Amino acid sequence: MNYPDESTYGNKADIISTVEFNHTGELLATGDKGGRVVIFQREQESKNQVHRRGEYNVYSTFQSHEPEFDYLKSLEIEEKINKIRWLPQQNAAYFLLSTNDKTVKLWKVSERDKRPEGYNLKDEEGRLRDPATITTLRVPVLRPMDLMVEATPRRVFANAHTYHINSISVNSDYETYMSADDLRINLWNFEITNQSFNIVDIKPANMEELTEVITAAEFHPHHCNTFVYSSSKGTIRLCDMRASALCDRHTKFFEEPEDPSNRSFFSEIISSISDVKFSHSGRYIMTRDYLTVKVWDLNMENRPIETYQVHDYLRSKLCSLYENDCIFDKFECVWNGSDSVIMTGSYNNFFRMFDRNTKRDVTLEASRENSKPRAILKPRKVCVGGKRRKDEISVDSLDFSKKILHTAWHPSENIIAVAATNNLYIFQDKVN
Amino acid sequence: MEFKLEAHRIVSISLGKIYNSRVQRGGIKLHKNLLVSLVLRSARQVYLSDPCPGLYLAGPAGTPAPPPPQQPGEPAAGPPAGWGEPPPPAARAAWPETEPERTAVSDAPWAGGAEPAATVTGAGDALQGREADGAGAAWGRVEGRREAAARGAGGPAAGSDVFPEGPQAARRACACLPGGEDQRGAAAASPGADCCCAPRPAVDEPPAPPAVCPRKRGAAGVGGGPAGCPAPGSTPLKKPRRNLEEQPGRVEDDDAEEMETGNVANLISIFGSSFSGLLRKSPGGGREEEEGEESSPEAAEPGQICCDKPVLRDMNPWSTAIVAF
Repeated sequence: MNYPDESTYGNKADIISTVEFNHTGELLATGDKGGRVVIFQREQESKNQVHRRGEYNVYSTFQSHEPEFDYLKSLEIEEKINKIRWLPQQNAAYFLLSTNDKTVKLWKVSERDKRPEGYNLKDEEGRLRDPATITTLRVPVLRPMDLMVEATPRRVFANAHTYHINSISVNSDYETYMSADDLRINLWNFEITNQSFNIVDIKPANMEELTEVITAAEFHPHHCNTFVYSSSKGTIRLCDMRASALCDRHTKFFEEPEDPSNRSFFSEIISSISDVKFSHSGRYIMTRDYLTVKVWDLNMENRPIETYQVHDYLRSKLCSLYENDCIFDKFECVWNGSDSVIMTGSYNNFFRMFDRNTKRDVTLEASRENSKPRAILKPRKVCVGGKRRKDEISVDSLDFSKKILHTAWHPSENIIAVAATNNLYIFQDKVN
Repeated sequence: MEFKLEAHRIVSISLGKIYNSRVQRGGIKLHKNLLVSLVLRSARQVYLSDPCPGLYLAGPAGTPAPPPPQQPGEPAAGPPAGWGEPPPPAARAAWPETEPERTAVSDAPWAGGAEPAATVTGAGDALQGREADGAGAAWGRVEGRREAAARGAGGPAAGSDVFPEGPQAARRACACLPGGEDQRGAAAASPGADCCCAPRPAVDEPPAPPAVCPRKRGAAGVGGGPAGCPAPGSTPLKKPRRNLEEQPGRVEDDDAEEMETGNVANLISIFGSSFSGLLRKSPGGGREEEEGEESSPEAAEPGQICCDKPVLRDMNPWSTAIVAF
C-alpha cells in the first residue's frame, strides 16, 4: 500500500488522546489532553483541483471539558478527552459524544451561514434603539454571512462513574449508548441525563478481592442488545442485554490459555487488553494487548483465530518497559472499512498494518522528517539482533517516548489518521 | 540468586510506582495499580521461593544478617490488595452512581490513597524473611512508630539498603532515634522521614504530632479506626501490636506522610531494602471494610487500603504493615 498524501497538523499544544472518523468519513475528530476537541472536515473535491484529493482542514475547535476538582476526595479530575464517538447524522447538524474520566457530553456541531438583519428594536450592532425614534416597522430578514461553525453542549451526563471512564459506545439503535469505567458499565438514553442504568458491575463486595478491571467496551455494530467488554486479565465477555437487566453473567467468554513458556513477572500486565473493536461486519472482534493484536471469531471462545505480533522484540525488555511505565501504554487498534486490514500503533512513531488475507504486514513511520506531502511512506524494519542493515533500526535505538496509541481508519476509503503525541498525520492511499 | 535480585528490584520499582500514583493528577488509576500489585505479588513469590537464604541484598555492604528464617512459602496472600473501599454508594442499578462518601478521614496528603496493601504486602512477604535483619532500613523508619520498642531482634536497621545494619536488633530502624545515633538511618531516610520515630517509646510525644510527622495515621486513628479492628485505632496502640507475629496487621499508611516529603528515589531505596510486615489476614471480614474506611484518604476509591489478607503468618516479629501508601 502506498500512502503518498500526507498532511500533518503539528504543533498542537497538547497531546492527542483520541481520534475518530464520523460515519461517512467526512469529519475527523481529535481530542487532546487539554480537554479540547478539534474537528477536521474533508474538502469536497472540485473540478478545479482534481489532483487534490479531499484534504482535511480544521472545521471546528472547542473546549469540551475543563479540569474539575472533587472536593470530597480532594482529587483533581483531568480534562483529558479519553474518547470521542460520533452519532450517525440525522439532520444538518453533527453530534458527537466526548468523555473525560468522569463526565460524558453530547455536543452539537452546526453551521451557521445566515444571520438575521433588520431588527426594529436593535440596531445593527445590537444596541437598543430608542422606541421614540422608530417610525416604521420592517421584517427582519436572513442574510448570508461567513460560515461559522458552532459547537454547543446539548447534554451532560455526569456523576455516574466512581472510577475512570475508559470507553463509550453508541448503540446501533441510536437512542442509547454505554459508558464503561474500571468496574462498571452504564447504559444511557441520549435524552435523559440524570439517570443511567447499570448493566455490568464487577466490583467485588470486598475490594481487597479485586483481581480484574474492565478495560474497554463496545456495542455490536448491528445487534443493539449485544456488547462486549474486555478485562485486564486478557478476557473478553460478550453480553446480551435481553438475558437479564444486569449483565454480570456473560453470554460468551473469550479467553486464550496462557502459554506457560512465556511466563514472567509481567505476564499479567502484557495480557491486559487495551482495546476491543468489533469488525464492521459484526462477526469478529479484535483485541489489542501489549505485544499482540488478536482477531476472534464470535463463534469460537477458546482461542483467537488470528494473532499478530506487533513488536515481539520488546518481550525481552519488559522489565525496562515496566520501569519507564511504557508497559502500561494502552494501544488502540482499528479495522479498515472492509475488515481485511487491521492497524495498530507502536513505538518510535511506528504503526503497523496487517493484511488478514495475504498475511502480509508492514511497519510505517509517522514523522515529518521521513515524509513530505505526497511522498510515499517507506516501510520500516526493526532489527532484532545480528547485523543491522542500513535502513533498519535496532531495538535499542527505538524512541519509547514517541508512541502511537491512537489511530483511525476512514470507514470506506483508504485514509488513515495517526496521532503521534501532539501531531496528527493523515495518510491517503494513492489509488487514482 | 539472580532471581532474587531481580525480584527485589522489581519490588522496589513497584513500590515507587504506587507511591507516585498518589500524587498523579486525576487520582489513582485503579487499573494501573492493580497491575502493579500483581507484579509485586509475582516478585514476592519468586523472592520467597528462590532458595537463596541469607543474603539480603541490602546494598553495597551486603551485610549479612544472620540468615533469617527461611520463610516457608507464605500462605498465599489471600486476595489481592485491599483496595479499600469507601462506604458503598447508593443503590446502583437505576441510579447514577454517586460518589461514595468517603469518610474523609484523611489528612489530605494521602488523598492519593492508600494503595492496596496487598501489593505492598506482597513485597513484604518476599522480603519478610530478610528484613528482620537486614535492610529493613526504610522500614525501620517507616515502621518506626509501629515498631515499638518491642522490636527486638532483627529490627531492621534504620538505614536503607545502603546501610544494612539490619541485624542490630535493638537499633531500631527509626532514623530519629533519640540521640539520633542512627546517622545512617537519618541519612537514608528522606527528609521528613525522621519524624517517624516520634511516637516511639523513646520519644515522648504522642503519636505523630503533625508538625513532626504529618502522618496520615492520624486519619486512621482518628477517622474512626475500624471498630472491630484490633490493631488499628490510635497510633500508639498500634505500635506494640505490630510486633507480634500473629498480629493482624494492617497496612498502615503512615508512610504516606513520610513519603510525601521524601524524595522518591530515597523512598524506593528505602522500600527496597525490606519489607517488614504485611498485614496479616484478619480473621473477620469486618476489618477490611473498616480499614478501608479508615485508611482511605478520600482520594482514591481505588486503592485505599492496603490490607492484604493472609500475609505472612510466621514472619518475624516485624510484621509491620506495609502501608498502603
